Amino acid sequence: MTPEQITLVQSSFERLGPGLPTLATRFYRELFGRDPALRPLFATDLAQQEASFAEKLTEIVRAIPRLEELLAHTRALGARHAGYGVRAADYQTVGTALLDALAAVLGDGFDAPTRQAWALAYNLVAETMLEGAASARPIGS
Amino acid sequence: MLAGVAITLPRWPIVGRRSELEMFERVLGSGEHAGLVIHGPAGTGKTRLADECRQQAAAGGHPTERVAGSRTAALLPLGAVTALLAGGLGRPGPDGQVDTVALFEETRRALHERHHGRCLVTVADDASLLDAASLALLGYLAAQKTIFLIATVRTGEPVPDLLTGLWRDGRVERVDLTDLSRAHLDTLLHLALGGPIEAGAGRQFWEVTRGNPLYVHELVLGAVESGALVERSGVWHLEDRLPATSRLLDLVEQRIGGLSAEARSVVELLALCQPLDLGYLEEALPLGALESLERAGLVTISIADQEVSLAHPLHGEVVRAHMPRLRARAILLAEAGRLEAPNPEPGPAALRIAVWRLDAGGRPDPAVLVRGARLARDAHDFRVVRRLIEAVPEEQLDAVGALLLGEALYEVGIFDASERVLALGQGLPSSEHVALRLAVTRAKNAHWGLCQPEAALAINAGARTVVTSGPLAEELVASEASVLMFSGRPDRALTVLERLAGDDRRTRTVRAIVEAVALAATGRTAEAVGIAEAGFAEHVALGDELAIAHPATHIVNQVFALTEAGRLAEAEQLGRAGAEIVASQRVPIAQIWFAANLGRVAILQGRVATARRYYAEAAGLAEASRFAGPRRLALSGLALAHAMLGDADAAEQALAERATLPAFGFLGPEQQLADAWTAVASRRPAEAIDLFRAAATQAASTGHQTTESWLWHDLMRTSGQDASARLLELASACDSPLVSARARQAVAVRARDARELTGAAGDFEALGAMLLAAEAASGAAEALSRAGDRRAATAAVRRSDALAAACEGAATPGLVHAAAPVPLSGREREVAMLAATGMASRDIAERLYLSVRTVNNHLQHAYTKLGVSSRADLAQALGSNP
Repeated sequence: MTPEQITLVQSSFERLGPGLPTLATRFYRELFGRDPALRPLFATDLAQQEASFAEKLTEIVRAIPRLEELLAHTRALGARHAGYGVRAADYQTVGTALLDALAAVLGDGFDAPTRQAWALAYNLVAETMLEGAASARPIGS
Repeated sequence: MLAGVAITLPRWPIVGRRSELEMFERVLGSGEHAGLVIHGPAGTGKTRLADECRQQAAAGGHPTERVAGSRTAALLPLGAVTALLAGGLGRPGPDGQVDTVALFEETRRALHERHHGRCLVTVADDASLLDAASLALLGYLAAQKTIFLIATVRTGEPVPDLLTGLWRDGRVERVDLTDLSRAHLDTLLHLALGGPIEAGAGRQFWEVTRGNPLYVHELVLGAVESGALVERSGVWHLEDRLPATSRLLDLVEQRIGGLSAEARSVVELLALCQPLDLGYLEEALPLGALESLERAGLVTISIADQEVSLAHPLHGEVVRAHMPRLRARAILLAEAGRLEAPNPEPGPAALRIAVWRLDAGGRPDPAVLVRGARLARDAHDFRVVRRLIEAVPEEQLDAVGALLLGEALYEVGIFDASERVLALGQGLPSSEHVALRLAVTRAKNAHWGLCQPEAALAINAGARTVVTSGPLAEELVASEASVLMFSGRPDRALTVLERLAGDDRRTRTVRAIVEAVALAATGRTAEAVGIAEAGFAEHVALGDELAIAHPATHIVNQVFALTEAGRLAEAEQLGRAGAEIVASQRVPIAQIWFAANLGRVAILQGRVATARRYYAEAAGLAEASRFAGPRRLALSGLALAHAMLGDADAAEQALAERATLPAFGFLGPEQQLADAWTAVASRRPAEAIDLFRAAATQAASTGHQTTESWLWHDLMRTSGQDASARLLELASACDSPLVSARARQAVAVRARDARELTGAAGDFEALGAMLLAAEAASGAAEALSRAGDRRAATAAVRRSDALAAACEGAATPGLVHAAAPVPLSGREREVAMLAATGMASRDIAERLYLSVRTVNNHLQHAYTKLGVSSRADLAQALGSNP
């Protein structure tokens, strides 16, 4: 990522402000709409799931400029998701759902450079989460 | 330069390969797979992914191992897999052969024990460059689930047959790697550098590398080293332009070219002799030298194996390509000298040393070379056998070495040299086993290679004075029978086989090779099919041994026997399956025989153009592998097919090519079909009749009963001459419905019996012999029309036309006379149709692979038959008679 892209992700996230719960709701709606089979992998209480999503997203967006800190968050998160049964292919679906949810909530503010910056940020997060997932799930264990 | 690396980069990350890693996890965990193949262009990260898989497996508690192919190690049988070989290279048996099966099994047991039954996850990097013996061992261990194989194969390199085989059977999964997307490249840079990069620099990396991971790796590390890429306030900037090369190899060269002399010498040593002992390198090099090479991403150090190797195969390639020959020689000899152990037993290390000496142009220990050659021989790697044994000075060559070299020379088609070395070997002291094999191999070379069956029989007779013990003497009998059969004497071959008393597996196997063909030729086709089938099973159980033909020979024989039995569809199916297998295993002699037999089947099916294609393929393969006898047979078939297509010029040409080859007796009478049919196509009917008669007489005197029936029947087809009496005799002497149908037609033709002709057409059609069926139906039409039954005659013509439509343009006399009212031959019709579209003769000739003269001949015949005199009238005339 470029420094400008990191700034774009953080500033657009700040702009969300009180809209964050809406983003969380929208995200899960987009996600399960795309792949209903993913629904059972998440907590039954969706409201609780949404709250924890918003919290994690905030932590991660704040940590993006400092890679070590970001990795600490994402690797642990990935390891947890591996336990839920989320697979590499699912990360693609999650990414699209996130970008579409952001587009819906941010409206015109979500222009092409912002979308590009979020896509890269998500890719970075997804790759490192998957790395954490792999080390949490050694073969044969 | 390396000392100038200011920062320590984190371990190089792996990005965009998580689905592949997940797949690995799944297939390893399933317990059903033997391995994973990683395929992709250079630099897409195959090696890295394989190593990542290996690490993941290690984290899960699997023992792991790594072997790598390289162009130098490919020469050395089992050289690449020494790490897996626990107890040396196996002991030779009584006849000097290494028992490969026992060696593999011993290795399997040792690994099983060493790892307490846990599957050993083994990376085989650059598997295409592994020698055949190493691949065979890996295949064996993977099939036994002793190892789980992770093989990398670079796009454009041949995928080893072992892997394609396992893949086809669903035993291995395959992933195809491509370059990274732009997003993945950005992520990779971010993780490798540990922070953001300015936009212009990121774009430049993308534009130069297009996402090729190795390229990125080389470029980033190079740019950091040179100070072109620097970090300021947490952001990476490009101070200088990236190297202006678009080729990955250039980039690797630049990086290696920038190494200090000391670092370079380590890289060179590894490129030639890797992997090297970690302890040795640590001792030999100044402190930190190895670490800085590792940090620069040029070498990988395995603490667990105490080994050092180059990080990427490309590094080795570049270094070797640029190393002066003398320098390489010096390094190899020094390394050989350093490792030379006082240990006289040739083990894996001795083999490595031998090949280093060989590469350096030095003199390795002959015992080690012979041992290596045995292993290569077991893997059918005859070129390596030849290279290793030819390095043994002739005065030091023993009988076993002579046998190995003679056989290898025969297999690669250098028959004179094979004869010389085998004769030499027969003069050396040896066990009876080796003496026998020298004799049998020398006889085989004399017969098949030099086309001298009499010499082969003399070699056999001579060996009988040396080889006297029971089972071995039996083999000489089988060899004698083989020479007789495949020089055109099935009758005498069967008589000789009666002397064969032994009933051990080897005797049964060698017996079946001769007996199946001899029985089929003499008309006992059902027995022949059964013997060929059983022979294959016996041969597989016996394993592959010196001085016996390839196991696929039995399948070839079965195809031949099925054809003679008139089971054409089965013959075709089996032939095609067999051809595919031997093509993938690259067994040239078997490929020739399958192609030639498929040509025979196609001729009998009436698929004449297909036959032409198969025979041409067989002739080409035979020419390439220098077997004159099979080439002669293939060219005969090719001439026959051309002649049946009405192309007299091409047929003559094939015969002229055949005339340059020595005589070869196998299927001799059948070869003469070509001469007779060429005379038919060239409109020399009297000569054709003489040729058919002479060939049939020869067939009768040598026991070729099915061929004799073919010849008499073709005489009748092409000239109308009666041969019904002899054909009836043959029909009762043979068990083949094809032979019976021929007799039925001949009798019906003589009696002008329309009903019987229709019946014969039905017989041929049921056998899948469409051309013969079409001709018989056309004969029926003629008889019916002569009898005044015009309706039935018209129906028979239609039937004949429909059957002829499957015959791919056949232009035999039996068809040409047939299709009243407009009796155009298939070829004439084809030419006329094209001419009617306004195409010039030259273009038609090109399109149909004919000469212009032949096209004009066909056209003239068509004009006459259709009663037209110009191309303009053709369309209309054809329009009413499509």
